[in-house]
Amino acid sequence: MAALSRYLGWGVLGLMAAWVLFVYFPNLLARIQPNTPPGFIRIENGWVYALSGLLIVIGLILAYAWLVTYISNSRSNRKRSFLPLFGQGLTHLFMFMMLVFAYYPVLQILAASFDPRNTLYRILPPASDNLLVRARVIPDFSQLSWENYAKLFDGFILYPYQAVLLAIAALCLVLVIAMAAYRRIVGDDRTDSPWALIQGRSLTVFAILAFILVIFLSPVQFTGQGTEAKFVLWVRNTLFVSGITGILAVLLTATAGYAFARFNFPGRYTMLLVFIFIQMFPGFLGLVATYILISNLGLLNTFTGLVLAYSGGIISFGTWVYKGFLESISKSLEEAALIDGASKWQVFTKILMPLSAPMFVFIFLLQFVGTYSEFIVANLFLTGVESWTVGMGLRNFTTGQFSTRWGLFAAAAVLGSLPILLTFYGFQRYFVSGYTAGSVKE
Amino acid sequence: MYRSPPGARGFLVAIGLLGGALIVAALAGLLIFWGLQAAFPRPVDESYPGYLILVFGTIVLIPILVLLGRRVPYLTDWYYLLPAITFLLAFTLFPIILTVYYGFTDYTGIRNGKPDRSTETEIVRVEGRQLFVDGNAHDLLRCDQPDCAGQALEITTRTQRARVTAEQALEGIITLTAPPPFTPTLVYKINDFKFIGFRNFAEIFSRAGAILIPVLIWNIIFAAGAVFVGAIPGLILGLMLNNKNLALRGFYRTALIISWAIPVVISVQIFTAMLNVQFGPINRLLGLLGSYPVPWLTDPEWFKMSALFISLWLGFPYWMTATLGALSTISDDVYEAAKIDGANGLQTLTGITLPLLRQPFIPLVLGSFAFNFNNFGLIYLMGPQPGVEGRPSTAQAADILITWAYKTAFQSDGGQAYGLGGAISILIFFLTVAISLINFRFTGALKEVR
Repeated sequence: MAALSRYLGWGVLGLMAAWVLFVYFPNLLARIQPNTPPGFIRIENGWVYALSGLLIVIGLILAYAWLVTYISNSRSNRKRSFLPLFGQGLTHLFMFMMLVFAYYPVLQILAASFDPRNTLYRILPPASDNLLVRARVIPDFSQLSWENYAKLFDGFILYPYQAVLLAIAALCLVLVIAMAAYRRIVGDDRTDSPWALIQGRSLTVFAILAFILVIFLSPVQFTGQGTEAKFVLWVRNTLFVSGITGILAVLLTATAGYAFARFNFPGRYTMLLVFIFIQMFPGFLGLVATYILISNLGLLNTFTGLVLAYSGGIISFGTWVYKGFLESISKSLEEAALIDGASKWQVFTKILMPLSAPMFVFIFLLQFVGTYSEFIVANLFLTGVESWTVGMGLRNFTTGQFSTRWGLFAAAAVLGSLPILLTFYGFQRYFVSGYTAGSVKE
Repeated sequence: MYRSPPGARGFLVAIGLLGGALIVAALAGLLIFWGLQAAFPRPVDESYPGYLILVFGTIVLIPILVLLGRRVPYLTDWYYLLPAITFLLAFTLFPIILTVYYGFTDYTGIRNGKPDRSTETEIVRVEGRQLFVDGNAHDLLRCDQPDCAGQALEITTRTQRARVTAEQALEGIITLTAPPPFTPTLVYKINDFKFIGFRNFAEIFSRAGAILIPVLIWNIIFAAGAVFVGAIPGLILGLMLNNKNLALRGFYRTALIISWAIPVVISVQIFTAMLNVQFGPINRLLGLLGSYPVPWLTDPEWFKMSALFISLWLGFPYWMTATLGALSTISDDVYEAAKIDGANGLQTLTGITLPLLRQPFIPLVLGSFAFNFNNFGLIYLMGPQPGVEGRPSTAQAADILITWAYKTAFQSDGGQAYGLGGAISILIFFLTVAISLINFRFTGALKEVR
C-alpha cells in the first residue's frame, strides 16, 4: 500500500512535469512575437556560437587537466586519474557563471548610476566596436559621470563639527574592517586578543558617533531644490527609525523569552501558542486599523508612530528565537545563583544578559534590516518629503516618471543599500546561524 | 519561594489580574485625559494628543503592579511577559480584531466613519432637540435617507465635539434623538459604515471561479515554484562548495550571498528594468542568442515566469547557505566508511548525502513555502501587470492572495474597500494557519515545547 501511494506520487509528479514540458512551454514560446524593435540586435542561431564557445572552454579545461595529470604521473610514476582535476575545473566554470548571474543586476545598477543620460531607455545603440556593448548586454562605460550622485547631495550643508565626527566615524569603520580582515588572514579566532579588542572598541565608537550624527542632522541642512536633494535626510530618518525599532524589539522580547525559557508557570504553553498564531495573521493587512489607532493617539507623521507600528511585527518571532537560545544554555549556573539567594531578575541581568549578546545582536539586526527598506507602512504614516524613508524615496523615483528618474534611482539604490550590505557582510554569521537554525539542529 | 495555583485556575487568575490591572490603568488614563480636557479646554483642531492617555495609564499602572506583586507574589513571573503582551495586544491583536470586524462591514475609503468636512453647516439657533440651519438641511448635509432619519452627525463648538443621531431633518430644522450636551455651532454628516454580515465573503465566493480560485492556484504554484527554483541551484552550489579541496571556496561562498543582502525594494525594481521587453538587457542577450524579444512583463504567462525567475535570483543564496550548514553536521566518518566499502561518488551522493539532508530540509522547505505564500514584496514591486480578461484590476495575472487583498483595500482602483480586503485577509490567515499546522506536524515544534 505504501509502495503504491509512493508510485502514485511519482506518477502524478511525472505527469505534471510532462504537462509543463510538452503543453505549457510550447504555449509560452508561441506567445513570443517574431518581430525586432528598432535597435534590437538579433543573431540568427546565435546560441550555436555560444554553445560551441562553452564546449571549447570545457575542452580546454579537459585538455589542461589531462596534460597536468599526465606530466605529474610521468614524473612520480603513479597512475592517477585526471577526472578530479577536470571536475574542479568544471566547478570553477560553473561558479564563474553563477557569479556573473548573481552580479549582473549589480553591474547594471552601478552602470546606470554613473550614467546621467538614461541610456537604458534610449533607442539609439551606443557607438562601440564591441558587439556586446552595441547590443547593450554590457553597459556602455565610455561616458561616466558623477552627476546622479551630485544631485542627491545638491544643497546639502554639512556643519564643520559633523564633518569631523563623520571623519572619525569613517576612520573607525575602516579600522573595524581592517582588523576583521587581518584577523581572518592570521586566523585569530580568540575574542580576547588585542586585535579583537581594538575591533570591538572601534565598532562601539563608530556606533556612538553614527548615533550622534543621526540625531543631530536636521532638515535645515538640506537646501537643494527637488525631492532627490533630501536623500541623505531619508537615510538619516531610516537609520533612526530602524535603529530605535531594533532596540525596542530587543527590549520587548528579552524578558518574554527569559520567562518562557526558564519559568514554569501555568498557561505557559497556551501563551506560546497565542504568540505563534498571532504571528500568522498577515500583519500589514491590519494597516487600516493600525492607522486609526496611531491617528487617535495623535502620532501620525511622527517617527514614534511608525516605530510603534513596526514594533508588533517581530515580538513573537524574537521571543521564540531567544527562548530557543536560552534553552540551549545549561541551567546549572543559574540554579546555583538562585540557591545563593539571587532573585530571578538578578539572574537574568547578571548571568544571562551578558551571555545573550549575540542573540540580542541577531534580533536587533533582524528588525533593523527588515524595516530598513520597508515602504508600505511608512508610506501610509509619513507625509512630506522631509520625513520620508529610503524605501519611500526609492519607490518614488520609479513610480510615475519611471524613465526619467532611472539614473537617480540607481544612484540612490547604490548609496542606500550600502548600510545594509555593510551590516549584512559584517554580521554575516549571525544571519546565517539565525535563519538556518533549523537545519543545523540535530 | 512562591507557588502559583496549578493548572487552568492559576492561568486564569493570572490573566484576570493582569487584564484587570491593564483595564483599570487604561480607564484611569482615559479619565485623567478627559479631566484635563474639561479643566483646560483647547480648540478642537489642536486638542490634546491622544498618546497622553498612554502616558497617564502607564503612570497609574506601575503602582498597581507593585501592589499586586506584593499581594500575589507568583504574578511577578508574568511581569516578564507584560511588555511583550501589551505591545502585542495594542499593535498586533487589536488591529487584527478590528480588521476581522471590518471584514463584516462595508468600510471603504469614503465610508470610513469620519465626519465629512465638505458638509460643514453652520447652526443658527438651538432649541431643545432641534438645530436650526440656514437653508435646506437635507441638501446641506447630503444625507443618505430622504429625511435624514438615523443619520449620524457630528456637532462641534470651538473646544468641544460630540457624535449625535438625527431623528429627521425638515427644511431648516434638524431634530436629534436627544438634546445636544452643549450648544453647538457647526454640524457635519458622518460617513458611517455598517455591519453587513457575510456579504463580503459572499461576494468573494460568488465570483470564486473568476478570481479566488485562479489566484489561489497561482499562489500555491508560485510558492512551491519559488522554493523549487531557489532550492535546486542552492543545493547544487552547496554540494559543490562543500568539497574541501576546492580552491577559492570561501570567496565563492561569501560573494554569492550578494542577492540575499540587497534589499528587495532595490533588487526587484532592477529586475523589472532588466526584463523590459524592448530595452531590457536580458532580452538583448537572448537576441544575441537568436531569440525574438520575450514579453517578460507584458504577457500574463511570461509575467509569472518573470516572478519565478526573480525568485531564483533572490532565493539561491539562502539554500546554498542552508545546504552548507546542514552538510557541516554530517561527520566525515560516514564518508570514510563508504569509501572503504567501495562506494563511488554518485553512490555516496544518493545513498548518504541526500538522505541525510532530507531531515533538516523539511522545516526549511515548509518555512520557505509559507514565506513565499505571502511574498508581498516581490509581486507588488514588479509593478503594473498585464491584464487578464474577466478579472478586476486588483487581481491580475501574477497577483497572489496578499497583493489582491492589499490592492483591494488600499488602491483607488480597488475602491479602497477595506471591508472586502479584511475579508480576504481572514481567508489568508486561515490558509497560513493550515500551512503552519502541517509545518508543526512535520517538525514537531509544538511537542518540543511541551
